[in-house]
Amino acid sequence: MSRYLRSTALVVQVACGIQLFNENIAEFTWCFGPSMLPTLNMTGDIVAYEHLTQRFSKLDTGDLVVAVSPLDPSKLVCKRIIGVPGDKVCINPVSLHRQYITVPPGHYWLMGDNLNNSTDSRVYGPVSGGLILGRVFARLWPSPKWLGNGMEEIMEFV
Amino acid sequence: MSFTAFGTATRQFLKLCLPWVPVGIYFVEHGYSLGTVHGRSMQPTLNPDSNMLRKDVVLFNHWAIDRFDYQIGDVVTLRHPDQPEKTIIKRIIALEGDVVQTRPPYSEDYVRIPRGHCWIEGDEMFHSNDSNRFGPVPLGLIKAKVDYILYPFDRFGKVPDKPRGNRIHYAPGHRLYNRLNDIE
Repeated sequence: MSRYLRSTALVVQVACGIQLFNENIAEFTWCFGPSMLPTLNMTGDIVAYEHLTQRFSKLDTGDLVVAVSPLDPSKLVCKRIIGVPGDKVCINPVSLHRQYITVPPGHYWLMGDNLNNSTDSRVYGPVSGGLILGRVFARLWPSPKWLGNGMEEIMEFV
Repeated sequence: MSFTAFGTATRQFLKLCLPWVPVGIYFVEHGYSLGTVHGRSMQPTLNPDSNMLRKDVVLFNHWAIDRFDYQIGDVVTLRHPDQPEKTIIKRIIALEGDVVQTRPPYSEDYVRIPRGHCWIEGDEMFHSNDSNRFGPVPLGLIKAKVDYILYPFDRFGKVPDKPRGNRIHYAPGHRLYNRLNDIE
């Protein structure tokens, strides 16, 4: 009897330890959908994300992040940060009449890579930093790969 | 007891207790935890005393929020939408689809709560930094429900309700729709 109790206790301890690691250091999730198309597949990718950057440093423009959806707290979204607090961003670069918005303090402007098929900040506005869970740093499956900041500098033509 | 015996006892104790530390942290983060309430935005429900040194100790229920159990009238803690590192304590006034008549700092007179959002206000309307300032907040920011007041023992018990008033027009299909909107 005591052996069973002890092994149950061990399982509980290990599960809680893993859960703590997942919540505070890094975890992986399955994300699918067309919104991040050239970067992530539509049929589903397993990506790993970490919670350390937003805790000890700052999220930057171009980072891929996993966030709680502002439209449904039980769903997660994976988007790219387009604007950090204080940035002036174009609400919809695809539209004819462009409007600009200054990202409020504590918020981020998130967009999918596939602008034609993405529910993002254009729909729900700037996303509070409290909803952002972590920064995506790798794709685990298929074709494992590090996913860094996707920003590239565009050469200026003067 | 010799020094080595003491060391052995300590080691035995640590060996027994350390594995339970993650379990404890998990319980505090996802089950129930205690906390003190600062500020006067929830007067007279919490911190009714004007003495700033006396703070209420309350029980946070994280378990209910993990199951997405939000009700109108619940007192909850949430991350401040503009300062994610700051936690505030407010009361849920309206959920998605409801129309709220706002109070002065807000730019519009009426606002319909968008999908996945809620309207939160402090019970003390004059000293509260709430949705009337920053608008509807996403439900994902809510961290815990405040169920019980623990510390001043004379007020021990469930957090009191607040009369709902007539500033909210509940959406059709809402649990409270028939009961309240028909009265008007």
